[in-house]
Amino acid sequence: MIQLQNITKYYPVGLGRNFILKDIDLTINEGEFVSIMGPSGSGKSTLLHIMGLLEEPSEGQYLFEGERVDKMNEKKRTQLHRGSIGFVFQAYHLIDELTVYENIETPLLYKNVSASERKSRVADVLDRFNIVAKKDLFPNQLSGGQQQLVGIARAIVAEPRVILADEPTGNLHSDQAKSIMELFKELNEKDKITIVQVTHSDVNATYGNRIIQLRDGHIRS
Amino acid sequence: MWQNFFKTSVRSLFKRKLYTFINIGGLAIGIACFILLFLFLQNEWTYDRFHTNGKQLFRISSAYGEIDQPLTHTALTPSALAPALKTVPEVQTITRIYPKASLVANGEKAINESRFIYAEVPFFTMFSFPLLEGDPATALSGPNMVVLSASMAEKYFGKSSPTGKMLKIDGKDFMVTGVAKNPPSNTHLKFDFVGSYSSMNITDRWGSANYYTYIQLADKATSNALHDRLTSMIKGMMGSNTKYRFDLIPEPIADIHLYSQSENSTERGGNLQYDYMLAIIAVLLLAVACINFMNLATARSADRAREIGVRKVMGAVKRELFTQFITESAIITFLALVIGTVLSLVLLPWFNNLTQSTIRMHLEWPLIVALIAVFVVTTFLAGAYPAFFLANFKPVQVLKGKTPVGKGAALRKTLVVFQFAAAVFFIICTLVVGQQLYYIQHKKLGQDRSQVVVLNGSRFDNNSLAAFKARLLQQSEISQVSASYDSPVNIGGGYGIGQIQGKPADYSMDVTAIPVEKDYLQTMGIDILAGGKLTDADIQDVTREKQEDRRYHFYLNETAVKQLGWTPTEAVGRTMTMNGRIGSVKGVMKDFHFASMKQKIQPLIVFPEYEWFGEILVKVNGRDPQRALARIEDAWKSYQPGRPFDAHFLDDDFNAMYESEFRAGRLLKVFSGLVILVSCLGLVGLAAFTAEQRTRELGIRKVLGASSSNLVALLSKDYIKLVTISLIVAAPLGAYVMIKWLSGFAYHINLGAGVFVVAGLLAMAIALLTVSLQSVKAALMNPVKSLKSE
Repeated sequence: MIQLQNITKYYPVGLGRNFILKDIDLTINEGEFVSIMGPSGSGKSTLLHIMGLLEEPSEGQYLFEGERVDKMNEKKRTQLHRGSIGFVFQAYHLIDELTVYENIETPLLYKNVSASERKSRVADVLDRFNIVAKKDLFPNQLSGGQQQLVGIARAIVAEPRVILADEPTGNLHSDQAKSIMELFKELNEKDKITIVQVTHSDVNATYGNRIIQLRDGHIRS
Repeated sequence: MWQNFFKTSVRSLFKRKLYTFINIGGLAIGIACFILLFLFLQNEWTYDRFHTNGKQLFRISSAYGEIDQPLTHTALTPSALAPALKTVPEVQTITRIYPKASLVANGEKAINESRFIYAEVPFFTMFSFPLLEGDPATALSGPNMVVLSASMAEKYFGKSSPTGKMLKIDGKDFMVTGVAKNPPSNTHLKFDFVGSYSSMNITDRWGSANYYTYIQLADKATSNALHDRLTSMIKGMMGSNTKYRFDLIPEPIADIHLYSQSENSTERGGNLQYDYMLAIIAVLLLAVACINFMNLATARSADRAREIGVRKVMGAVKRELFTQFITESAIITFLALVIGTVLSLVLLPWFNNLTQSTIRMHLEWPLIVALIAVFVVTTFLAGAYPAFFLANFKPVQVLKGKTPVGKGAALRKTLVVFQFAAAVFFIICTLVVGQQLYYIQHKKLGQDRSQVVVLNGSRFDNNSLAAFKARLLQQSEISQVSASYDSPVNIGGGYGIGQIQGKPADYSMDVTAIPVEKDYLQTMGIDILAGGKLTDADIQDVTREKQEDRRYHFYLNETAVKQLGWTPTEAVGRTMTMNGRIGSVKGVMKDFHFASMKQKIQPLIVFPEYEWFGEILVKVNGRDPQRALARIEDAWKSYQPGRPFDAHFLDDDFNAMYESEFRAGRLLKVFSGLVILVSCLGLVGLAAFTAEQRTRELGIRKVLGASSSNLVALLSKDYIKLVTISLIVAAPLGAYVMIKWLSGFAYHINLGAGVFVVAGLLAMAIALLTVSLQSVKAALMNPVKSLKSE
């Protein structure tokens, strides 16, 4: 599903280059639950952003479902964001001005889903995550764990093939973290969604079925 | 999708109340002013364009003067012109108009109606003043007929129809033959009453020009052909005269208000220069408000950055984000438009008062189109740049927590400079115009117009005037009484010296002159440089029964004497003639201003002549003018029973000459105030943002030992720089415009550095005060609190 070949990312610093990622070769198959680990500054987030088409590699090739990403036009990339890739962020990044319901609905709007279908899909997700009662609240009226739940609900409502999660439990305490991780596991097993998460926590990493250790821009294992 | 945009926008507007208030408030003020000025200019620029035959309607105006001198233009024509035009093939219809304030009574009480004109039969068929009652073709067809405007019909007859009823006008019975729709505000022929011309018994003469002549061109005729015809007609009449020129000029009716140079029009003309100034103000004010929007939106972009990032990650494309922010801008503009429209409605009476106009707001197409244009332009002008700016955020930076703060700072600064340059420019204009107006009002004119009460003298004969004068002078409140032909502050009579001792027989000189009563010079406090006061014997000389027996006594002013090439004492005693009046130079007056300060002082002759006095001048003692007025009214009642007592101070006449300048001065004051206000609103927003953005920095500085005043200075420094730059930009522009304006006055103040210093300091003070509100708040904040925010 995700094939990274010789991916290198650097920034020019003075006369030289500051390498964030160097010669990353990585294949993630459909249905996997991969945890990317490594110390701060090891390039985990950059790697995730490259997978999510938010950043472009300096060198190397990236194939998403067998298609070369660098050959894709803006429209195709937008299509992937709309349909195939879901994001979950450490800081949740909900839109403050929208209610829980509206936050979850937003990706469907960009996907041009009809009103009646939007309604039923958002209702399904709310139901599934047990947050029906919270649907008219604004993000700042929710706890961190609840906000992240909404974040995940928003990520899956468009039925993506892969969820990219950047330290999804980084701002949560351990109880909340546990339930979020269990949710991911369930999404992976039941819904067959491929999940790639970046995490600091060994415990969280064990929820996945593969761990990739990054250090100084290289894959260690 | 729209719903989603709409909700986000509205909620975020609610969340950022200060910012929303500044944006909507500023724009609403801008739009309200735009609407008011639009209505005003629309009224100005559509004067007399509503007449169905408008293209064929002309007023014939006259121009006269010596062959090598600039011509005097007047809208008045001799009464004999109209009959002469009857044979001109280019002329289809003619109507003469004679405005004359008349006493109107329905029953006992008589009211002096000033908007009373007498017109010939075709008046209502030529001009498009529709009649609600009566037949336009016959309403003025006989003597003693009168047509009322709708509001006058109600004033005199209430709800019942006045047609066929009688009114007493100047003591004569008139029959009401029609009711006209109230004339609109955009015509120079505003009337309340139109009496039939034949009621006046006017004989057709070429000798004096007191009538307006309007014509409708024949179908295929052109105004040029008519002008040629008139020129050859005059040639035929004047023969081989080589000294004087006389010209009759057809003026298109739609051009009269804005372009006519003729004096004595039925209504003071517009002033294109001031109109353009107002148009610029309207646009600038709106621009300043738009700038607030742009600046605040880009400055506060950090607020929205995360939302933009998230939306992009969810698959929003630039176009959608652009649309979203334009929607937001449209919502703000729309709210501002609604508030602005309401505001303009509320302010319209006040604005009418300010501009001395009678505009009403009608939701007509021009206004609707203008409002739509304002909506679209403002939405895009104010919204496009921020929308573009925000839509271009790179999501990854945003989501990583790096907010692109400070971006667009250079543009923001440029725009703030623009705003303040506009403010400084208007401050300069306001100050200079104010100074010039002060100068006009307080300059020593050479005559003393203060405490002079002006009464209508037209109904007195010489005996009743003398008796009235004697009665007034018994009052201790009254020190002098005299009379004159027209207003001492705006003497208009065109005369000419025919012969004067010491000059060749064919010598002639154009002068302005005024017939006066004996005590005129004393009443007006005019200094005599040479020669003596008028004696009773002098007055007897000029009041002899037969014109050929009369001997006149002329007072020349310094300018006239200078032009003759003599000293004052040399001039006294010389014999001279003026327009058939034989006499001698009685004295020389010190120069004084007898007309607008836009003109240099011209040669003037003041001479006693007891033919007709338009004005009675009563000099009262300063202590209790109200009491004096009451005394005058008592006397008036016994000498002019039944005539309304209508008194005003000469100061009012004087101020009326500068009406458009005073109006411009008032408008400038108000609108520069508003430009400053709206600019400051924006500054409050920007300063709040800067202070917030630099909270951490300020916290650190405070921990390191900076005092609060250090911090305020630090935050204010940038703005001082900006205001200084705007001063540098605005000062030359203001100087240029004001020098040009001042050059329109023959007598004016000199533009000094003081104005610019004051304007600069004022702008600086206002800016700093505005900014410091925010910076003091930031500087006083507990550093622990601000450092925690990281």
